[in-house]
Amino acid sequence: MKVIPIFIEAGISGFESPAAEYKELGLSLDQLLISHPDATFIGEAKGQSMQGIGIFDGDILIVDRAKQASSGDVIVANFNGCFVCKILDKSKAKLLSASPVHSPVAITPEDEFQIEGVVTRSIRMHQPSNELMSCML
Amino acid sequence: MYALVDAVSYYASAEKVFDPSIRNKPVVVLTNNDGCICAVCPLAKKLGIPKFQPYFQVKSFLTKHKVIIRSSNYELYADLSEKMMNVIARFCDNQYVYSIDESFLYFKNYAYIKDWHQYGHEIRKAVWRETRLPVGVGFGTTSTLAKAANHAAKKLSGYNGVAVIDDDSSRKEILSRMSLTDVWGVGPRLSKRLSILGIKTAWQLANQSPKVMKDQFSVVVERTINELNGLPCLSWDDVRQDKKEIFSTRSFGQRVTDYNGLKAAITSHGCIVARKTRKQRSLIKRLLVFASSSPHDDNYYKKSIIYEFPVATDNTLKIAEGIADVFNSIYLSGVYFYRCGVGAIEIENQQYQQQDMFNANVNNPELMQCYDHINHRYGNSTVEVAAAGQIEKWQMRRDFLSPSYTSKWRDIPKIIC
Repeated sequence: MKVIPIFIEAGISGFESPAAEYKELGLSLDQLLISHPDATFIGEAKGQSMQGIGIFDGDILIVDRAKQASSGDVIVANFNGCFVCKILDKSKAKLLSASPVHSPVAITPEDEFQIEGVVTRSIRMHQPSNELMSCML
Repeated sequence: MYALVDAVSYYASAEKVFDPSIRNKPVVVLTNNDGCICAVCPLAKKLGIPKFQPYFQVKSFLTKHKVIIRSSNYELYADLSEKMMNVIARFCDNQYVYSIDESFLYFKNYAYIKDWHQYGHEIRKAVWRETRLPVGVGFGTTSTLAKAANHAAKKLSGYNGVAVIDDDSSRKEILSRMSLTDVWGVGPRLSKRLSILGIKTAWQLANQSPKVMKDQFSVVVERTINELNGLPCLSWDDVRQDKKEIFSTRSFGQRVTDYNGLKAAITSHGCIVARKTRKQRSLIKRLLVFASSSPHDDNYYKKSIIYEFPVATDNTLKIAEGIADVFNSIYLSGVYFYRCGVGAIEIENQQYQQQDMFNANVNNPELMQCYDHINHRYGNSTVEVAAAGQIEKWQMRRDFLSPSYTSKWRDIPKIIC
């Protein structure tokens, strides 16, 4: 026997779904992930040196510029004209990786160095995203 | 107290935000179709590159000095502007965004602020920290003086991005170092006429008799003089007045000769004008539609027609209809069209619209709201009137365009791990 499923709601005319008025209250990822919307930017991680703390190649990084960076924070910096993601070690003036094969990098006065912001969240892309793939378009 | 906060070489600075490799290099930004230089960063200024110079004339000079060239990336500038304005808004409850990179602030009940210099530096620091855009801050007891102080903050030596005009000595110091054309409301023509009378600096202008100058020139000059003397003449509502004309016009990347191509281009300019009109809650009564070949052509052709709407409207569909109505009188086959555009030259306020007994109201706010929402969410021209076409031949040339770092997922900045 073939059954055609009909939503109960569809059979009743004249009554609106009681859930309709709550429709606007969807969860927003922005609200959860971004505390300073005007001071935040989004970037894409490239490389393997931060795998030890769970940042993999192709992951999405949420970078907050309003937050003060402290030692031990995962930060994004402008290091000699490149955006890099590392762990900040203020006392030794070093950029640490989270990988046994990448040694710490010392920041010398000759280097161009600015902290761009603190990585407050990273998003693991378990499946490829069409939006992010440039070759798709 | 009034303040004017604006970005230093905004377009060029915006290009540096997401491209750290050019932060310490000279950068220039080109106008539509890569025609002229429209923004020069401070490092490029030091090389002596003037603004508004045609690109082809300075091309070899730029290559020689390894100057970074960028096409105008409006998507990026608009996004960064919004963030910058939001950060500035935190410092005053009365903000008016005057242009993409300038905003006026009006401090009414801020007696607790004792040191405006320090407050200005706090604004600068916050904007730099949170958006990586450099701004200049000028405070003044009138909006014209705030504009003058802003000029001093950015252009005069001795001011580090912040200047305050709050007494006679600071006023004299800054105004006597400013030329006339740098005064808000004084254009090049007026300044020439004033210089014949021996008035060369802003300070000299400030010391003229407002009455005499009103008789000799205009009420605008009188008002400027009063404002320069610390008498507020422009009320806050004058400063933030809606635009009285809205234009969208552009020269083509490639000449257009075919009927449909030109019609599509003009119609899409009409759509842009309609959108901007809705944004400031106005209605269009009279529309100027024009197209021309290049003035350098042998047979220069130019045609412009004014279309009057029976009832003022902000409805994109009605505006497209109006354009279609007059288009046949504008198009001429055989002409290599170089430029076209649409301008709303008579605008009414939506709030005070006169209802017409004989003509039905043609506005469709629900449809337009939906249309604006879709285009805002998914990008301009996601939905468009069919007459605007999908052919992009007449679109701008932007050979040096940077990625859309903040508006396209595939363009977000790459961060090396």
